[in-house]
Amino acid sequence: MLMKFLFAKNEEIPAGSATIFFGFSSIFWFVVGTGLGSFNAAKLAFPDWVTGTELFAFGHMRQVHVLAVILGWISMAFGMTMMYMTPALGNTKLWSEKLGLWNVFIWNVGLSLGLILLWMGITSGREYSDLIWPIDLVVIFGVLLPLGINVWMTIAHRKTQGIYITNWFFGACIFMLMIVFLVGNSPELFNLTGLTEAYMTFWFAHNVLGLWITPVAAGIAYYTIPKLTGNPLYSHRIGHLHFWSIVAFYSTPASHHLMSAPLPEWLKSFASVEGVLILIPAVAFVANILLTLKGKWSMFVENLETKFSITGVLLAIPLNMQGGFQQTRAINWYVHGTGWIVAHAHLALLGMSSFLEAAAVYFGLQQMLRRKLYSLTLGNLHYWFFIIGFCVYWISMTIAGLMQGAGKIYEVPYIDVVVAEHPYMIARWAGGTMVFTGNVIWLYNMWMTAREGTLVPKGRYAHELAYER
Amino acid sequence: MGWKFDQPLYCLSDEQEQKEMLELMEKTKFGGLSEGNNKLPMPLVALCGLIILTAFMITQPIWGQRPNAEIYTDFVALMDSPEVQRLATGEEKMKFITQQAMAKATGRTPGDIERHPMSWNDLLNVSASIKEVQAGGGQYDLASYNVIGNRIQLANFEGYVQANGLRERKQPWFDKGYAIDIFYVSYFCLTMVLVIKQLPHFTRKPDMSKAS
Amino acid sequence: MGFQQYKFGAAGIGLMFGFSMCITLLFPANDFRSGISTWVGLDKQLSLGRVIGFSYEDPFVTGAGKPIVVILDKDPKTGAIIDPPQRAYVYNPGIKFAPGINHQEMLGAGVEDLSKSIGKIDQSDMASGAVFTLEKGEFNGDEVDYIVNASVVRGWTPAGTLKAAGDENTRYVAKGKTIFVTEGCWWCHTLLPEQTQDWQFFGAPPYLGDFNGEMPTAFGSDRKAPDLLHVASRNSSREWMTMHFFNPRLVQPNSIMPRYDYLWGKTDAKGNTIDMNKWRAEYNAYVHGESIYPPEVPEPRRDSEVRTLIDWVLTSLR
Repeated sequence: MLMKFLFAKNEEIPAGSATIFFGFSSIFWFVVGTGLGSFNAAKLAFPDWVTGTELFAFGHMRQVHVLAVILGWISMAFGMTMMYMTPALGNTKLWSEKLGLWNVFIWNVGLSLGLILLWMGITSGREYSDLIWPIDLVVIFGVLLPLGINVWMTIAHRKTQGIYITNWFFGACIFMLMIVFLVGNSPELFNLTGLTEAYMTFWFAHNVLGLWITPVAAGIAYYTIPKLTGNPLYSHRIGHLHFWSIVAFYSTPASHHLMSAPLPEWLKSFASVEGVLILIPAVAFVANILLTLKGKWSMFVENLETKFSITGVLLAIPLNMQGGFQQTRAINWYVHGTGWIVAHAHLALLGMSSFLEAAAVYFGLQQMLRRKLYSLTLGNLHYWFFIIGFCVYWISMTIAGLMQGAGKIYEVPYIDVVVAEHPYMIARWAGGTMVFTGNVIWLYNMWMTAREGTLVPKGRYAHELAYER
Repeated sequence: MGWKFDQPLYCLSDEQEQKEMLELMEKTKFGGLSEGNNKLPMPLVALCGLIILTAFMITQPIWGQRPNAEIYTDFVALMDSPEVQRLATGEEKMKFITQQAMAKATGRTPGDIERHPMSWNDLLNVSASIKEVQAGGGQYDLASYNVIGNRIQLANFEGYVQANGLRERKQPWFDKGYAIDIFYVSYFCLTMVLVIKQLPHFTRKPDMSKAS
Repeated sequence: MGFQQYKFGAAGIGLMFGFSMCITLLFPANDFRSGISTWVGLDKQLSLGRVIGFSYEDPFVTGAGKPIVVILDKDPKTGAIIDPPQRAYVYNPGIKFAPGINHQEMLGAGVEDLSKSIGKIDQSDMASGAVFTLEKGEFNGDEVDYIVNASVVRGWTPAGTLKAAGDENTRYVAKGKTIFVTEGCWWCHTLLPEQTQDWQFFGAPPYLGDFNGEMPTAFGSDRKAPDLLHVASRNSSREWMTMHFFNPRLVQPNSIMPRYDYLWGKTDAKGNTIDMNKWRAEYNAYVHGESIYPPEVPEPRRDSEVRTLIDWVLTSLR
């Protein structure tokens, strides 16, 4: 059906099809990404599990997991939300459904190609920007540019006067991500070497998180929470504080990832102050959303989408407390390079961000399919598998990280640290597997929603209807 | 693919809702954006101020875990003393030296000494090079060196380039990064006040002729 | 009025994004540029060549088109004894040079001048290949290391140098680092000892000049295993490395490192097919206490991937 639409006239493509294809692609990549994560975790807990072939070696799978989750699940979920929130907030149609469908098509093909190459070991050897530069160019010009054009043109053709804060985030973050991709991959494109390369690697890694994953996820929450609860956003002013302080502060502290490398010290001093200041957008975001929820806290329990969304917002609190302070010179020497950081990264991507996107994907797919979620039970099962699995992962890796840090300080032979970490590695695998199982349930639930969900009458929202199962 | 797109959806708002929004927009000054738009609550402003304060305080003075070779000055001075010579094992000697040095030192040095113990053998190895640096043979003073195992090595600290063309290898109390930070944050506060105080007034007339 | 205010504010913050790009990109670039290559830095870039990882010359990241390091104990041309033995970096005809050879300004002050005036690296020609060595010299009273194009200065040819060294003195360092990158060793092993206590255990931290010309640096950020920057100083046994790569649990029962037995290829050094199933069966018997000794690890072929990996570890990570 995708093929049919790719060559159809734009007017003949039903509105919402780009959203739906993006939505299902993102859930599919989430299943793939967390499945790979679970497999990798198993290899860390039981190194002799699958051996003898490089295709299932940890070193070949780890980066595939990371990029499948970032570019597959999270970014495609962003694409999905942009496809329905941007027009909805402008009281208009998506600028071009056809472009949206081509976008999702190229995205899936390009990402699959990139990940297969990575799996084979064809890599640039740079963390987070592992993809080789031809694939990077595909990402910039084949994926981000069409997405950007669609979003920017939809905003330009809006039938409202102001631009809602969510669309500020969408429009700006696509633009900034394109810059980040171009500049961050410049070592590959122009063969920059040495510390410049190392610094650019982490400049990229930091800014992908700071100018794409966290702000867009927050922008999504600015839509879902008011929409689900029916309360207007508490304050646009705070929203603007959030937006502008992201631009100002999140783009600066890249060098705090390389505190022990011989980078210029003034750069580290600069970065560590700016790193703490990322708490300003965080505080603005959390306060704004939680104040919006005033009088509707019961929905946190009753409504599935709100439950996902608010869980994500609440997880932003520990995320930013960790993120702000762990990068200062005072603390960084203890936790840097340990499992603590792994736990922190999963708190950002699997915790805060993924919960917000899951809520938006649940909401948007029901809206666009005009069908009520197939089964509340399965939805709740997904939620609890997700949150428990995540917590098991997060807590076990945090403990493992603190042990690693202590081992570093007291000069414990590394192998003793490995032995001490073993139980936590098993817990990590168990947690990751729970998340994966939850996502398989989600994919099934969404598929059944598309086929058999109750039809939502015109003019009503899916979340206003009672569940049938 | 087995599902059908029945009732294609063009807009999430229904017609009634759209009409109301349109009226609201035409009526209000700020394009509907500032309707029910709350000011920044005072606690939030205070919290932001607190964050800015914390950011500078937790990173100032610039201290990482980078003790330099200077904290072992007293070790080297004490190692040849008769009290130390009288003790039998290396462990006893080091215990005595460490206690003495910690009692004598001030500021952050006692803590640094405690966190970075040294063995007698390492001290024997490293003392010669420490004395050499103390004698002023090299271009750097002792504070620019790290003790790594049984030798000293110039710190990999990329400070300013000094007048003699060499890089500074010790922690300064203040540096360019902080200066930029202070400028950056002040500038941010200024622009933020401008932005937050009044949200934009929109004069844009949307094209409502096309049905959607 | 309100709109004017907002416009100023928003433009101001847009400008701030520009500041941020300047502060984080432009200013540090000046600091990086001032780094003067150390011996480690020069050795790294000459032994690794232009780029490790995906590139024009090596699109499948197998380690093709890379220089070779040899350790010479006699002069390839005159046959005179070299004591102590010296490293030479052999670029066969057509192999792309390390970045510093073509862009001498990145070597840093002093190094650049000596490499050009004494080392004649500006006369290097890719089509005919070249052999480089490192020498110590003095520039404005400071001791600096510089590159010598031995093909020009001493008339060493790539082929002659390789022949003079022989296989036992040849180190496939660049290929080894390629394996390090493609096999993802750096997902667990960092190449950057952290502050103080870490230095006591894993060795000295690197300097600014240790990285000129290296791409990628592959520091790693997530450590699940010991830092490797100076691993060869702690353990330089080729036998230990061979066993450890084949199955880490042969030498370290609690290790969680994956087995890299597939880097051996199909056959061992004598050309016999490696029977992996038999080996595994015997190893399992050993693990379960049914036999006293583990099976012998096959001797790797001279052109096997694991040999290049061990070459890199033992030659570069000192």
